[in-house]
Formats: sequence, structure tokens, C-alpha cells
Amino acid sequence: MTKAVRIVGLAIIAFVAGSMSSVCFAAEASAEQLYATLAKLPADQREKRLEEGARKEGKLNFVHTWRGKIARDHVNLFEKRYPFVKVEMGDIGSQDAAERFIAEETAGRHLTDILTLGVPDMAVILKQNLVAKFPTPATKKILKQYQSFIEPENRWTPWYWAEHGISYNTDLIKPDKAPKTWFDLCKPEFKGQVSFDPPETRFMAGLHVMMGEGKVKEWLECMGQNQPIIQQGHTQRMELMLTGDHAVQGDNYFYVGVEHKKKDPKTPFAMVLTAPVLSFAGAMIINKNTQHPYASALFVDWTLSQDSQNLINDILRGPLTIKHPYLPDNIKLVTYNIVGDDITKRLHEAWNQSIGRLK
Amino acid sequence: MATSSLRWEAGTRPPLMSGGRIVVISLVVILAYQVLVPLLLIIWTSLKTIRPGEPGFLELSFTLANYARAYGISEFWEASLNTLYFAFLSSVCAFFCGTFLAWTVERTNMPLARLIGMITLGRIIIPGVIITISWILTASPSIGVLNHIINALAGVPRFLNIYSFWGMVWVQSLEMTPLAYLLMSAAMKSIDPRLEEASAIAGAGTWPTFRRVTLPLILPAAAAAALLLFIQTVESFEVPLLLGGRARVAVYTTQVYFNTSRTPTDWGLSSTYSIVLLFLSMVLLYIYFQLVRHGERYQTITGKDYRPRRIDLGGWKYITCALSLVLVFFITGLPFLTMLYASLLPRFRPPTAEVLETMTLINYKTLFSEGSYALKPLWNSTLLGVSAASIVMLLVAAISYFVHKTRLGGRKILDFLAFAPIALPSVVLGSAFLWLYLLVPLPIIGTLSIIGLAYLTRYLPFALRFVSTSMVQIHTELEEAAAVAGGGWWRNFYHIYLPLLRPGLMAGWFWVMVHAYRELTISLMLARSSNRTASVIIFDLWSNGSFQQLSAFGVLMFTILIILVSIAQNVSARYGIQERV
Repeated sequence: MTKAVRIVGLAIIAFVAGSMSSVCFAAEASAEQLYATLAKLPADQREKRLEEGARKEGKLNFVHTWRGKIARDHVNLFEKRYPFVKVEMGDIGSQDAAERFIAEETAGRHLTDILTLGVPDMAVILKQNLVAKFPTPATKKILKQYQSFIEPENRWTPWYWAEHGISYNTDLIKPDKAPKTWFDLCKPEFKGQVSFDPPETRFMAGLHVMMGEGKVKEWLECMGQNQPIIQQGHTQRMELMLTGDHAVQGDNYFYVGVEHKKKDPKTPFAMVLTAPVLSFAGAMIINKNTQHPYASALFVDWTLSQDSQNLINDILRGPLTIKHPYLPDNIKLVTYNIVGDDITKRLHEAWNQSIGRLK
Repeated sequence: MATSSLRWEAGTRPPLMSGGRIVVISLVVILAYQVLVPLLLIIWTSLKTIRPGEPGFLELSFTLANYARAYGISEFWEASLNTLYFAFLSSVCAFFCGTFLAWTVERTNMPLARLIGMITLGRIIIPGVIITISWILTASPSIGVLNHIINALAGVPRFLNIYSFWGMVWVQSLEMTPLAYLLMSAAMKSIDPRLEEASAIAGAGTWPTFRRVTLPLILPAAAAAALLLFIQTVESFEVPLLLGGRARVAVYTTQVYFNTSRTPTDWGLSSTYSIVLLFLSMVLLYIYFQLVRHGERYQTITGKDYRPRRIDLGGWKYITCALSLVLVFFITGLPFLTMLYASLLPRFRPPTAEVLETMTLINYKTLFSEGSYALKPLWNSTLLGVSAASIVMLLVAAISYFVHKTRLGGRKILDFLAFAPIALPSVVLGSAFLWLYLLVPLPIIGTLSIIGLAYLTRYLPFALRFVSTSMVQIHTELEEAAAVAGGGWWRNFYHIYLPLLRPGLMAGWFWVMVHAYRELTISLMLARSSNRTASVIIFDLWSNGSFQQLSAFGVLMFTILIILVSIAQNVSARYGIQERV
């Protein structure tokens, strides 16, 4: 019996090991070469070629980092415009999407054609050289104030932007007593009343661009002394604040509160627009080993189309080619893309020392 | 067969027949594939600084760098100490509450016993995220409904604080109580009443009889319950994350989460952390085996009458009933009512006349407005839950038989293999399956099969303890008698053990089915467009911040699972299984 168990065990290990060494197969013809060639064509011919190619491919595997209905509405809109491309969509969070994409590619399984990520979360994918460079005329439509989101090397294509800012519950804090700057959050009246998510690269990167490393560390230290609330889940935190659980969102997306206010004008929500708002782009990247290069390119171009941008506007996110649905033009916008690994690592450590360490 | 059976001596066990051998070999193969491969992958990864799939990952060069990193920081040890306190206190509370409910429901003449049992189990159906949020809405210092009431009645503001260590223990204890109840009630159904009657005749009261007769008889179930409660609390994530973060209390799982949640995931570190859980589980399993090593002492189901009779509590039955109702109100009633209330609101606010006027069915309408969004995942979960539960229970029934009823050499390896996955956090197990099937070219990525296979591994340890506690109560004399009458191994197993294992099998089936329905981490890691499960939708709704829609989905899920369990009971009853879960 013991011998049988041993034999079976060895067989399984051999099977897995054999499989592991054999699954890495060569990529198809380079998507990058194709995109470089297409980029030389006039816009109308390029688009025609993309449509013809996509029609033949007929399929696209896309990982969306928007979740639920809004992600499906977005894809449905594309399928309505290009009914000959069937989009297989998975919707998972930005970091999970990056992780799974890396896992697939490391294992030599090219299951994802395109994915969308917050640009600050892309560093690791770019570092591993998994992305096809995709020059596209579609980015010409991006408004001037958002052009810093465009990547000079065409490794990603920005198609919306997201904001991180301070907001508060107007039942608990009157507007004249509300914080005006990021350092105001350190004031004693907000002790134990300001909430954050556990540290995220995208937030750390924004703080760094806004303040510089020295000031960020100073801010983290004073925030730590003010006993902030650390709770997982941006939208849940916002809901809890609106219910009166605490007074201030130290860092959160505004759109959740705006959405509530739109549904119910009595919602006690206000944004702090005197403090800079951190903004980063959501961007499309195309897998270097995409199995559907034409459909991938068609989708990425489409994300900057009027249809797609209007949808972004309707769901209160930040469109790039039209005016923002609720933020005024005169706010202090801090735009940023990717910050070096070493910097975010140091800032994470600073966070852990000042705020994040639990007892 | 009959000849060999006649040669058995009293107290010995029947030898394995060739059919049995085939089954054992099959079980070893299944367990090796389902458990050993991911386990080896995790141990291997913990000894590597290279990610799976990268060049050099398969080379025979190892390092302890991950271990030095994981255990070389003081926060890890502080979190571990917190975890032990948290797990010990929560397990003890859950054990006593669950045992009390199991005893009153199964062994006494308390009024409303069946209703109380059903309500206790109903709690398992409600997703953990909803329960934790419900408790935040109930006992948060600022917005907790109970705090509003206490303040209004007694003028004491912020009396309760759910964001505290004791708040965590409270919620976790209530979360775990149904598990203790399920395990203990399955064992209590099978106690030989003659022993309790003898105690009563000898003049012992209800409590001394419970302490000196009933409790020792259910020792295997109690040990199994304590084991599972402790390990599951060590592994728990929702309560520590949502309450512990605010309470500034780090436990093992949150420490692991915060240390490994950056992209790309540090698989070496994650795997190393799970080795601790593996070690802890093995130590606890050893203690469990030591406690139940004299299996024959717990064999209460013999060839004679074993149907338990209920104890008459006299006037105490009403007090017991009231106490049980209060308990199940906290365990299930309050979170369910909060969930129902939230599902009917456009925005959550504490109940006032003004808020009640805003009640609406919009959250349900939204869910149904796009049928495939909510309904297909519900169907997927139903398929996965029912099939995973049925297959797992069949597997563990066979494993348990060979472990407890044969003298097969190395039989405890079967138990170890089936129990080992308890040490693997869901995130690590999910990753192991993802990596496994990315590396092994089987076309199951994106199908329900990959999630189903991961569920099998995930729930084996729990299901095994459910069935083992019932298995040790069955006396071998029944099988010996059948063998004398010429019954083969399979016939005996099918006609004797399976029917006698009904309480454990049904309890385990229910537990696995509901948990498979609720399971999030594995489903999320393995989900693609066509194999999304109900829990992925829950996460969707949670991520999108719609607690109201999430609650509506929870109510929907609760209803479906109640229907499923009722169908299962009726089907079971048709085939002679009359115990209810």
C-alpha cells in the first residue's frame, strides 16, 4: 500500500513538473510590429484595417477593473458599435487584474488580450515587459489639462481619470469648520474622525507628487498622532461616513458621495475643493502576446470615442475628452502617472511606522 | 467473506476486502491530486524567492529567506499573540453557545426546539461581510442602533463599541456558534439514551447527568468542534479586517494581508505564512487524535436501540427556551433584520419614522433589471454548492470509514491529507489552483470545474470532522454482524454506515453547501466571465458601495438556500433520512 502511494505521488509530481516545462510556447506574430505598421497609415485606412482584422478575429478577452453593471454597460456599448466582436469580460480590481495577468503570462498562457488598470498600479507589468506599444491617433482628442496622462512611449492609453480627495459629512462638520488643506486633517478637532483605506500605491504616489517625500513623511507622522480610522473599502467607508459613523474621508473617490447626493439631495456630503485633488488615469494596456491584436486595438481606440466618454460622464467618473461632470475647472488638480518603486516602498514603510502599525 | 468474518475475535475490526483496497487507493490518488499537489506547490514556493513559472523555480535550490522575512519582525509575533487570545476566547464562547443550543434542541423537551435549531442554522447562510456590517450598524459608537436606544433610555452615549477587541470576539463567537451547534447536535442525536437513563435512575439530576454522562460521550465531537472553531477563527478575515482595523488590533490574517497584498503578490512570503497555519493545524490534529484515541469508548450506536430520548426539563424548559431565543436573536435574527431593513432603503440610516417612509423595493428591482447579472451566478453557486457538498461528503464518509473502522497501515495519512487543507488560507489555496491550472494544460480555466475542484480541497477538512464524529460513535459489531450474514464491504458501507452516519452527513452537507455558496476568495481568484458565483456578485456590490443592494442580494440568497435545504431534506427523507439540519 505504502509503495502504491509512493508511486502515485511520484507520478503526479512528474506530471506537474513535465507540464510546467512544456507549456511555455512561443508568441504569435508581434502585435507591436502590427501596431507600428498601422500607425503609418492615414487614420481612416488604419481604422478600416482594424475593423477588418477584428471582424476576422471576432473575439476579445478583456479584464475590466470597473466592477458590476457599469463595466457591463461599457462593454455592451462597444458591442453595440462593433457587433462582430464578442467581448469576454472579467471584472476584477486593479491589483488583482495585474496579478492575474502576470501569473498568466509567466505561465505562458496568453488568456488576456487587454486590461485596464489605474496607471500607478502598472509599474510591475511594465517592468516585466508584458505590454505592447500602441501608438494611436485616438489620444489626440484628450483635453489639454489631461494630456500629462498620455504615455510618450505608447505603452498605455489613458481613457478616464479618477480622483482622490478630502470630503466630509455636513451633518457632523459645518462648512466653515471643514478642513481646507491636507495638513488640516492633523488638527485636534478631527482626532479619530478621519478615515483612510490601508495604504495603496496609487494614493502614496499621489501624495509624493503633491508634497514631495519629506512633507509626506511629516504629514503621515502628524496624521498618525491624530488617530485616523483605517478601514478597508473606499465605498463602504464613504457609506459609513454618510451614515454619521465618522466625519471626514481623508482620501476617497468623490463620485460615491456625489452619486448619493444626486439620488438624495439631503445626503450630508461635501467635497473639500480648496485642497489639491489627486488624479490619476485609468488606462488600457494591450498584452504583448495578445491573440486578438486587431480587436484589442479597436477596443482601446473606442474607449476614447464619444460614446465611451459620455458613459464615463454619466457615471460620474472623469472623462478625458469632455468636461468633468461635476468638478469645476479651477480646482487644484495634481496629475500623476507612475512613481518609482523605491519611493512608494519608502512611503509604505513611513505609513506603517506612523499610521499603519496595529497593536 | 463469512468464513473470514467468523474468525474475528471480539473487539477486532474486519479486514479490508479487495474492493476496499481499490477504494483506498482511489482515495489516496484523489487526495494526492487535490491536496498534496497544491500543498507541495506551497511548501516549494515558501522555499523560493523566485515566482512560480519563472526560470529557476523548478531547480533544486532552496532558501529560508522567506522564513527569515516572515518571522523576523516583532509585529508578526504580536499579531500571533493577539490571534491566540482572539481565537481562544471566540472559540470558547462559540463552543459553549453552540453546545448549549445543540443540547437544548436535540436532547431536551424545550418548546420551539426545531424553530430555534433552524434559526441558528439560518445564520450560516448570511454572508460574513453582511453580518459584520450589520454589527457595525448595530453597535458602532456613532451610528449603532443599539447605542441610540441605550442613549435614549439611559442617557449613556456610545455605550457599546463594536470596534474593539471584545467587539471582535463577540461577532466572531456568534459567527462560529452555528458550526459548534451543527457538530454537537449531530453527535447528540446519536447518544445512547440508556446511559443517561441509568444516571437518572441512580439519582443524578439533569446537570450532573449532562456533565458526567452526556459530555464524555460527545468528547470526539467536542474535540472536533474545538479544533475547527479554533482554526477557523485563526483563519477568519472579515471580522479582523473590518473591525480589527478600527480597533487597532492586528491578528495573523490581517498581518499576512497587509504584508503580502501588494502587486505583484509575494508568493514566497504568502506561502511561508501558511506554513505556520499548517504546523498549528497538525499540532491540534495530534491533540485531537490523542483525545479520541480510545475510539471504542464513544461507540454509542450498537446493534441495540440507540434512538435518543429527550430529557424533561420541567419548569426550566421555558427559561431555557427564552435564553435560546435571545441567543438566536443575536446570532441570526438581528443581522437578518438589519439586512432586510437595509435592503428596503435607498440609503442606510438608523430607523426613524421619516426613514421608514422612504422604504422602497428599488434595490430588488435593480438586481432583477439585468437577469443574467444576478441570476446566472446564483445558478452557478447552486450547482457548485450542491455538487461540491455531495462529492465531499461521499469522499469523507469513505475516508472516515477507513481511518476509524479499519486497521489499515498508514490510515492516519488519509486523515492528515484530508485535514491538511485547513491550514491553507483561501487566498493561498486559490492561488495554488490558479497556478496549477495555468501550468497544467487542462482546459478548465474559466469553467465551474476549477472552482469546484478548489472547493473540494477547501471543504474536505471540515466535512471530515463532521463525519468522523458520527463514525466513531458507530460500533463495529453492526458491521461484524452483517459480515457474518455474508455482506461485502461495499454493502456494509452502503447499508449500515451511510444510514447511521445520516446526522453527520446531513450536517456536513448543509455546512459545505452553504459555505460553498458563500465562499469568496477562491471564487474571486478563479472567476472569469462565465463562471462567476454568487459571492463574486456580493463582492461586486460590496466594492461598488451598495450595501443596500448587497443586502437585497443577501435576502435573495437566504431565500434560495432555505428552499434548497428544504428540498434536500425532502429528498433525504424519501430515501429514509429523517434527521433535519
